[in-house]
Amino acid sequence: MLSPRFSPDIDRPLLLATLLLTLIGIAFVFSATSMPSAAAEHGLYLKQIAYLLLAILAGGLIAAVPYRIYEGKTSYLLYAVGLGLLVLTLFIGHVGLGAQRWLGWGPIKIQPSELAKVATVILLASQLADRKKDWTQIKNLVGPVLTAAVPCLLVLKQPDLGTAIAFVAILFTMLYWAGLPFLYLFFMITPIANVALSFFTPAWLLFLGLLAVILYRSRIRLLPLLLVVGVNLVVGIATPQIWNHLQPYQKQRITTFLDPGADAYGAGYQIIQSKIAIGSGQVFGKGFLHGTQKALAFLPEQHTDFIYSVVGEETGFLGAALVASLYLLLILRGIKVANRARNRFGGLLAIGMTSIFLYHVLVNIWMTVGLAPVTGLPLPLLSYGGSSLVASFLQVGLIQNVAMRWREY
Amino acid sequence: MRADPIALGGWQRRERTLTIAVVGIFALVILRLFVLQVLEGSRYRELSEENRIRVEVLTAPRGEIRDRKGRLLADCVPSFTVTLDPFDKAYTRAPARLDSTLAALAPMLDVDPEMLRDKIQRERTISFLPIRLKRNVDMKSVAVLSEHRDQLPGVQVESEPLRRYPLGLMASHLLGYVGEISDKELAKPEYADYLSGDLMGRMGIERRYERLLRGQDGKRFLEVNALGRKGDFLGEKHPVLPRRGTDLELTIDLDVQRAAEDAFEAGARGAVVAIDPRNGEVLALASKPNYDPNEFSTGITQERWNELSGGGNYPLFNRAIQAAYPPGSTLKPFTALAGLETGAITAGTYFAQSCTGEYRFGSRVFGCWKHEGHGSLAVHGAIVQSCDVYFYQLGLRIGLERLADFMSKLELSGRTGIDLPQERRGLFPDQAWYDHRFGAGRWSRGIILNLAIGQGEVGLTPVKLAQLAAFIANGGTLWRPHLIRSIGSNGLPRSGAPDDSMKQVVAISDRSLRIVRDAMEAVVSDPQGTGGQARVDSVTVAGKTGTAQNPHGKDHALFLCFAPVESPRIAVAVLVENAGHGSTAAAPIARKVLQAFFHPAPPESAAVVTRR
Repeated sequence: MLSPRFSPDIDRPLLLATLLLTLIGIAFVFSATSMPSAAAEHGLYLKQIAYLLLAILAGGLIAAVPYRIYEGKTSYLLYAVGLGLLVLTLFIGHVGLGAQRWLGWGPIKIQPSELAKVATVILLASQLADRKKDWTQIKNLVGPVLTAAVPCLLVLKQPDLGTAIAFVAILFTMLYWAGLPFLYLFFMITPIANVALSFFTPAWLLFLGLLAVILYRSRIRLLPLLLVVGVNLVVGIATPQIWNHLQPYQKQRITTFLDPGADAYGAGYQIIQSKIAIGSGQVFGKGFLHGTQKALAFLPEQHTDFIYSVVGEETGFLGAALVASLYLLLILRGIKVANRARNRFGGLLAIGMTSIFLYHVLVNIWMTVGLAPVTGLPLPLLSYGGSSLVASFLQVGLIQNVAMRWREY
Repeated sequence: MRADPIALGGWQRRERTLTIAVVGIFALVILRLFVLQVLEGSRYRELSEENRIRVEVLTAPRGEIRDRKGRLLADCVPSFTVTLDPFDKAYTRAPARLDSTLAALAPMLDVDPEMLRDKIQRERTISFLPIRLKRNVDMKSVAVLSEHRDQLPGVQVESEPLRRYPLGLMASHLLGYVGEISDKELAKPEYADYLSGDLMGRMGIERRYERLLRGQDGKRFLEVNALGRKGDFLGEKHPVLPRRGTDLELTIDLDVQRAAEDAFEAGARGAVVAIDPRNGEVLALASKPNYDPNEFSTGITQERWNELSGGGNYPLFNRAIQAAYPPGSTLKPFTALAGLETGAITAGTYFAQSCTGEYRFGSRVFGCWKHEGHGSLAVHGAIVQSCDVYFYQLGLRIGLERLADFMSKLELSGRTGIDLPQERRGLFPDQAWYDHRFGAGRWSRGIILNLAIGQGEVGLTPVKLAQLAAFIANGGTLWRPHLIRSIGSNGLPRSGAPDDSMKQVVAISDRSLRIVRDAMEAVVSDPQGTGGQARVDSVTVAGKTGTAQNPHGKDHALFLCFAPVESPRIAVAVLVENAGHGSTAAAPIARKVLQAFFHPAPPESAAVVTRR
């Protein structure tokens, strides 16, 4: 139970940022669904309040139990539950917006990928907490990479590219925190960059040259060196060959998958409307409930994925910058907690949870201001949606859990 | 490089790096917000208040379809389409405004306002584009609309290519038609590049070659204000120009096609397929009754659709490829081939029983179509006079197993693989089929008598029959019938060399083939033959009549033929539903088709017709 001895160490700025963002979220879910043309969605803010009560309960409970409980066997159990839900989603999930992302019993629908992210971070933290292992050894990396890859592939199958990449982002942040040199992380990304560049020979050659220089300067061991070189050459040469042998409809499927906005007249238009909404807010905004663009185009998504553009329109630069600053505060406090923890598992747990926030906030806000493609990721704490809210509170709860017990080894 | 030792208090260096990265990311967001909201804010404010950005789709014209002599079968003409933008400010501010607009608009377009409302409700959730309310609106309605423009916010008249079939009913089943994509199709990944309200090929060539014919639509981002268009938006999104669809030249010969369609009496039902036996090119493919594909190009009402897809006659049904009929006596040349090839008979074999007009098998009596009987005949005479009693005995002698085996070499239970959608399989049953259908041992050996004369469970499509006629004509090759002669406007020049992947040679002796071909020639030329009505001046024709019993009414009339016998250039299958005898109802149609092929009308008259 929550013992009074630790409560003074609760991270107050983090708590404040979380609560403020949540309240702002409810206000703007109300605003985004308040137009006469969205009569069916008028009560959604009430549902969001109900989700919030559930989320506070879940976050409080997970924060109360000393976090060391989640290490080891428990982490595998949680992870197995998360994977089980994802597999179930593939078979009996509900289809929404062209992908199978939801799992439901009667009126309750959950998005298991949100919970799977939390479970994956717990298991990764548990695996990487092992100090006896040398994390620069390739064979030691197999475990964590698999841990992230399995849910990543399951989510990819739904298909939900944005969330799938979240697992990669989490893995890399946690590996970095666990002590893997930055250079290694760079090498791990090279094959992906290679696939993208292999269609443009001059850029590909330039990239290979750069890679060779970095490899030479880095003086890594022979085996990893050969592995990096080999994988990059094979990938770079094979990709265009495979691509050229695909049927046109297969190519179309892949391009649509990678960039849903390329064909759909909708996505490019959404970005334009989002930019107009945010831009037209100017410095002070049009006033709460007085936005006009929200009544327009992005009908199904303005209270979920595009809520930040409603904030930008109605509260202007001041409000949008304030919300961004609250997220910055939340993430910086998360990093701080991770840094302060004396226990390695605790530090990794906190940084992993923080990385989920970082990735989602980054991708969502960049999307709404036109810096990133449309991916369909919610903005944590602000967007409408119970699964996302509960998962966010679980993340905050775990960070607070570590914060309260930072002294423990 | 080893992992950093973990000092008391944590990971300072990593914390600093990560903090700097995160602050950098957010600085970028703030900077971007500053640009959008403070620097460019007034511009966006203006856009949000006065104007509206909309996407205009530039519809690509579909490729043209021509016959083998370059005569036009399908093209596109400019037309007016009335669209409504449900995201117009007028409607987002006051959704009820839409009702008054629709109430005013519906009489001008002569459509039901409820239908328009349904369409808008459905499509506005799929894309942000203006919704097409009616295609091919006439000039008068456009004028009325323009007068009332101020009462109709968000309503636009756009120019769009309209699919046109200048010959109307001609070749309708072959060409198919275009219609709006359904919601179910829209949800499929292979139609990811389609939008709600887009036209796509349905049936026929239009469907089969949709990917080629469609081309690629373009789009343009427009800034529209209350007064009308203002111009391209910000220059941020460049217009994408439409790419016209690919033209197709068909193997069809319009003269032959026209002769085939005109040969049917009004109200008759049936099909004609004509194939070049040297390469499988389809010269004509007709199905009656037919329909006017132009009706679909502008959208069709539910009542009219019900009429066309059912209505007793099923005009949309392509009888040439979608219906299987018992071939009747047109199968006899192939039963004869089976007999000769399996060694069951030779050219000189006479059976124990001569034809007395009936044949007794066990307790059952099987009649011959000629009640007075044909007397004693060998295979030649049996084909010429189409003697059932001869073929009953031949069937018994070959046996079901060997007969089904031979027919499977001719792929009677398969599809020809013609490049049209929804071809139906044929059927020539074997023992396993009967065992499965009726149970082992629970069917009579007597079925072979019916099968030998093309009755009973056997069923073939007209296109299969034409392929079989071509098979005898070319000496044992099954060509996959095909309809495309060249692709693209400057197309591939006709190489003359047939594509070998489309042919399948069946091992069969020249001697057997010659016996059957001689007999088929005599069917037409011999005074005793049943196909005299298919004679054509100065061309030797070989053929076979068929009269297929059918439980639902009068017999179906069939006729297979090819010509000239010495070096065949055309093979034809004719089927007329419930028309009686093949010799009187089907053979004359084949004659008209052959006549058009060998003695076409002078080109002047053809040109007059295509001009319409």
